[in-house]
Amino acid sequence: MNRISDSFVTFTRRFLLVLLVSTVISTNTTAETTFDLQQYRGKVLLLDFWASWCVPCRRSFPWMNEMQDKYGGQGLVIVGVNMDADAAEARAFLEEFPVEFRIIEDAKGELAKEFDVIAMPSSYVIDRNGGVVARHLGFKVKRQDEYESLIQAVLAEK
Amino acid sequence: MRIFSKAVFVFSLVIGAGTGCSSMGVEPWERDVLAKEEMQLLADPVEAGLDDHIYFSKEASSGGRGFGGGGCGCN
Amino acid sequence: MIRKNRKSIAATLATATCSLLGNSIPEPVQAQEEPGWDFNTALLYYVEGDDRVDDLSLNVLARKTFLDDRSLSLGFAFDTLSGATPVGAVPFDSVQTLTRASGRSTYSVPADAIPLDATFWDTRYAIHANWQQPLGRLYSIDTGLSASFEYDYTHIGANFKLSRDFNKRNTTASIGLAFASDDMDPEGGAPVPLAPMLDVGDQSNKTGDESKDVIDVVLGVTQVISRNMLVQLSYSFSDSSGYLTDPYKILTVVDPVTGDPVPRVLAPGAEGPSHEYRFESRPDSRTKHSFYAQTKYYMSGKVLDASYRFMTDDWGIDSHTVDLRYRWPVGENKYFEPHLRFYSQSEADFYRISLVDGVPLPSYASADYRLGDFDALTVGLKYGWTLASGNEMSARIELYKQDGDAPQDQLIGNQLTREMYPDLDAIIAQFSYRFGR
Repeated sequence: MNRISDSFVTFTRRFLLVLLVSTVISTNTTAETTFDLQQYRGKVLLLDFWASWCVPCRRSFPWMNEMQDKYGGQGLVIVGVNMDADAAEARAFLEEFPVEFRIIEDAKGELAKEFDVIAMPSSYVIDRNGGVVARHLGFKVKRQDEYESLIQAVLAEK
Repeated sequence: MRIFSKAVFVFSLVIGAGTGCSSMGVEPWERDVLAKEEMQLLADPVEAGLDDHIYFSKEASSGGRGFGGGGCGCN
Repeated sequence: MIRKNRKSIAATLATATCSLLGNSIPEPVQAQEEPGWDFNTALLYYVEGDDRVDDLSLNVLARKTFLDDRSLSLGFAFDTLSGATPVGAVPFDSVQTLTRASGRSTYSVPADAIPLDATFWDTRYAIHANWQQPLGRLYSIDTGLSASFEYDYTHIGANFKLSRDFNKRNTTASIGLAFASDDMDPEGGAPVPLAPMLDVGDQSNKTGDESKDVIDVVLGVTQVISRNMLVQLSYSFSDSSGYLTDPYKILTVVDPVTGDPVPRVLAPGAEGPSHEYRFESRPDSRTKHSFYAQTKYYMSGKVLDASYRFMTDDWGIDSHTVDLRYRWPVGENKYFEPHLRFYSQSEADFYRISLVDGVPLPSYASADYRLGDFDALTVGLKYGWTLASGNEMSARIELYKQDGDAPQDQLIGNQLTREMYPDLDAIIAQFSYRFGR
């Protein structure tokens, strides 16, 4: 239910916003983040905002590793956006909890603001055309299957 | 009766201050310090309970302590 | 040999209800942990000067965290108390004899000392269980039960709290309710209010058991001010009804001119009080309002915790409490935490240092120093350290001092020359160990 309402509410707005964001970021030569949405065109992108001090974020990592392994071949790319103000803490965390997916840093929160992140963790599912199709606020272990079904559905789309 | 209306007034101020100040606070990703154990409002519940019991037994006041909020704000 | 005049801790320490908002072990607010158990244990020793009370207390709080931020907390407390407390009679320059609550024998109080009740020894067990979970994304609930047992005092209670987050979780509003129902069965029976203390074997001034009910409501708001600062404000309302009197506390009847206890003539062969005393009487309802504000402020690793509480009730008591703690980390694994607490209260309307012979009895009267006018100061230091295993230990020591004054307008004759108000000096020592997870 949540996923459908999220999609309806956010789809059009987000699609345009993401286009704008990807343009801005990829052309802004002084941008801190090296994030370029264009490079994920044709892939399904799961963009996850996390931090080392966030316990539910920690809980989502094993699941995201599993998703990356399982669906990487079908074009799923997971990118973890780390929000730690202190990069050393993030590195220490990743040593203890290694990941199978790409991590980028957004210590200043610029990318988080562009995506209007209102909860930690937040994950955005972006389809092969660059449109945001869903947003999940928080991570609930009980809803893992629901999250996975959504990914399968988006991967199946052309 | 006076006490009651005073209480309602103070509480409205408090609620107003809280929910009205929608611009006060931090972004969800800026809660690293607030997530620390030592920053929780009730960092040691056993000690707080022991103290409350001692003071309740030796003084005429009790409780009044509040609740949750703060912290990581996750999920 | 300590005479075992069995008295409840509750009666001596004032009714020990285990409500969420009273003096139970407060619930930890964060359920943000991985599934598993964690334990918080503490051993506390409390000792008062002048051979008054000492209390050894063992507390265990066990919490099991389930998936998705749900948790169950189970708490257990065991107290063993012994000693004596001021019974409410005034000091006098000769020995006084009082009948024990049981009515079976008497005990004596030395001259020139604040009269204490007979030495006792007793134990108390308390348990509570709380369940915490989110409700949807922005709400969470906390609900629980509590109970405590002493040989002459039983408490049961229930509590419920609902919280909701606003403004990207920068603001949290909560409402809490707690109910308590306590039953008392005092040694010898509850005395008839303001009844005279009688001879050994005469329990005609006593009735049976009593009870009281308490309702507490708390409304609170927590607001994130900045990355390093948090503020909490709350208002609580508490309503108690039923038997609120301390069944073991008395007042001395004094001569209107000298202020000395009125002597009592004993029948030949009888054993009983040496002077005239009456049992105290408090109203059967009490409404309290409290306003509480707390802030936590982080300054490069150090944390300041400052709070203020104002309480006012319909017994005429107003109190102010200021509590300051400063946590000072030392290296990676240790910290010091000095603590300072200031407390001040005004006396209850019916607080009387003694009753005057010949004057009609008031409706209510109590000489219990805990309803009097006093200031108190706590100065303490805590030291904590984390072990290699990740478990934590801490030790703290605190000094608690109460300094009060008998209301000058109530003192008569010789009372003006005596030290009428029992000051209190106590030491609190505690050792804690947290493990699990």
